[in-house]
Amino acid sequence: MAEADREIIKPEMMKSYIWLQTSDGSLQQVEQEVAVFCPWICHEIHSGMGSSKTYPISLPSRVSPAMLSLILDYCRFHQVPGRSNKERKSFDEKFIRMDTKRLCELTSAADSLQLKPLVDLTSRALARMIEGKTPEEIRDIFHLPDDLTEEEKLEPIKNTIDDPRIRLLNRLYARKRKELKERERLKNVEIEEERVDERSVEDLLSFINGGDAESKVVKTSKTKKKNRRRKEPQKNTPGNDTSTSNSTSLSSNAVHIDKQESNGLDSTCHDAAACDHLLSDPGNPSKLPYIEEGFSPDDEFDDIDPAMQEKIDKEVADFARRLNSDWPEILSLGQERRRIPTAINCNGSLKRYASSASLAP
Amino acid sequence: MDNDLREDLISDLPQSIIETILTKLPIRDAVRTCALSSKWRYKWTTITDLVFNDKCVSSCYDRPILENKLVSFITHFLFLHDGPIHKFALSTSFLQSSPDIDQWLLFLSRRGIRNLSIELGEGEWFRAPSCLFTCSKLTHLELVRCELDPPPKFKGFLCLKYLNLQQILMPPDDIEYLISSCPLLESLTLSYFDGLELALHAPNLKYLILEGEFMDICLENTPRLIAVSIAMYITDDIAEHFEQSSSCNFDKFLGGVPCLERLVGQIYFTKYLSIGIDSGSTPIKYHHLKIIELYQVNFEDLNEVLAVLRLIVSSPNLKELHIAGPSNTAAAVVGSDLGFWEKECPTDYMFDQLKTVKITEVSGTLHEMGFIKFLLEHAPVLKVMTITPSAYVTEGRLSMLVNLVRFRRASAQAEVIFVQEQP
Repeated sequence: MAEADREIIKPEMMKSYIWLQTSDGSLQQVEQEVAVFCPWICHEIHSGMGSSKTYPISLPSRVSPAMLSLILDYCRFHQVPGRSNKERKSFDEKFIRMDTKRLCELTSAADSLQLKPLVDLTSRALARMIEGKTPEEIRDIFHLPDDLTEEEKLEPIKNTIDDPRIRLLNRLYARKRKELKERERLKNVEIEEERVDERSVEDLLSFINGGDAESKVVKTSKTKKKNRRRKEPQKNTPGNDTSTSNSTSLSSNAVHIDKQESNGLDSTCHDAAACDHLLSDPGNPSKLPYIEEGFSPDDEFDDIDPAMQEKIDKEVADFARRLNSDWPEILSLGQERRRIPTAINCNGSLKRYASSASLAP
Repeated sequence: MDNDLREDLISDLPQSIIETILTKLPIRDAVRTCALSSKWRYKWTTITDLVFNDKCVSSCYDRPILENKLVSFITHFLFLHDGPIHKFALSTSFLQSSPDIDQWLLFLSRRGIRNLSIELGEGEWFRAPSCLFTCSKLTHLELVRCELDPPPKFKGFLCLKYLNLQQILMPPDDIEYLISSCPLLESLTLSYFDGLELALHAPNLKYLILEGEFMDICLENTPRLIAVSIAMYITDDIAEHFEQSSSCNFDKFLGGVPCLERLVGQIYFTKYLSIGIDSGSTPIKYHHLKIIELYQVNFEDLNEVLAVLRLIVSSPNLKELHIAGPSNTAAAVVGSDLGFWEKECPTDYMFDQLKTVKITEVSGTLHEMGFIKFLLEHAPVLKVMTITPSAYVTEGRLSMLVNLVRFRRASAQAEVIFVQEQP
């Protein structure tokens, strides 16, 4: 009877198991031969840990249960000695197919367990995702924030101010730029020229020379900034005063920073005319033609279609009416709002509104 | 789809992983990551393995401009780089020797370079500056089309394990000195050295690859050699030298390599080996030698056949044998000593491990057929023998086959495959 009992014992029961504990506290029992494929676990076993449930091996925090399961799958396959190189390669190709987030987490987990072959495999996959793509595409894949200034993108190693407020503004600026790009694309048939990735790497590094290619790109970016600033306030005129003034204050700050940047880039800029225009604009808000009456669209805004024009006219009239009624309040408001009264004062034509306001009962 | 609201997946991984990823990118893409986000601005500047080639710069048809672009790219890269550089590889077909390269080498020698590989264009050969010899941490050195002139105070590369010199202009004494002054050298490749009489002293050498017009090769002190591949070209001078030689080349070359596992000999190697074979003895057995490949063996020269025979009989654990006849002659019918095989080797000798045999460029001569007969009779565990006739032989194939079929086989599982079409 005893012999029969002994025969029933299956060979699997002779395998030794070790206990692993992940950062969330959950325990898992794993065949020892699979787990020791990870150098870190192997080391821990030699220190005496993991042999029982009460003394499990506490895995590093970067190893979540899901990642542990993936890593153990990898180990379970590769620790078998008899496999051919072709088989291993084929397994690796299939194993690597997962979304980016998991791939990054897996790399991190494998690194913390010192499993170098898996780190190499995942790093290679991540490198393949980066190779040959434009910065926008890469930012999209890995959810990177677009928080570099234009200047920093063009002159990558220049020591600019690392101010988090400026970074935040850059991100908002970038977001705005993206939105406007979308609108532009919807309006125009032509594709807008990509700015950053057309620049070859040698240009990126040859900023010391300050060559033609650089100034050309600088010029393009300046023209775009010019257009954009006009459109921004235009977009913001509907809605109440608060939002208008807040966004104008935002754009005024952005403009202010643009001015700083353009000052820095001035030395390399060959197009003096563009520079002057850029510099003169913020100082003279009266140039904002949409507040004026008798504004003819053909002069400066040729790309406005009639439907838009009507809308603008309506908004202008609306705004003027509101100005008339809220005049005293506007005058007593804080710094942000000062722009509007100064605009009115500087501009001759607007005085008409002021006078009519005083004439009104 | 706003990136600000989603969590950054990759930028906070440890720097070692980021560097691994960047190193697996072409260097151009690695530098471009500086424009991704504020965290990525300087990540590329600390990578330690740099590989530059013609793909680093956008192509254009104007060669001087292309040269300037590449020089400018590398110079700026090195200037902006931060930290140690372990590997620097440059492989370009249009950049020639220039003072910029000298400056890069000076820069690298100060950054603890370990792995250096330079292959320039075909024009003027690059003359290595003396700062190359101050790179004391070098473990890998690979130079193509270069002029090397070690300074008199040069004591050798004490950490060098891998040396690959191809088309190098260097005084012959300096070559031997360079090799012998690298005590840790494990792998040596010398290609296209002309007229060299080489005496190798390399106590740790495991892998040896030689190709070129060598006058003489003497493995004086290479006890750990595992694999050897030699391709010897011949010139009139060398042929004359062979004829005047009095020593036994077999002993000179194979006398001191008891650990040899693999031997590949091409072109005139067997001829070289056969010189002085009568005067030599065969004291050592090659117990680890498992694979022998000898090409362009001239079966009409009995000394060469003897050399082959001596080699395979001294290798009791031989598993794979590949012999190729001379590829440029048609069948020559030469009457000769038919008792040659029985005379030269013990009748009861068996190749106990020989499993695979390939004989190519067979012309069907008497000696070739004798050799095949010999092998079939003395290889009891043979699995496959592949025989490929020479392309020059067209009519003699039938008689070859007729002879083959008659041969006795010691191995019952042996497959003898006669290849009809050239692969």
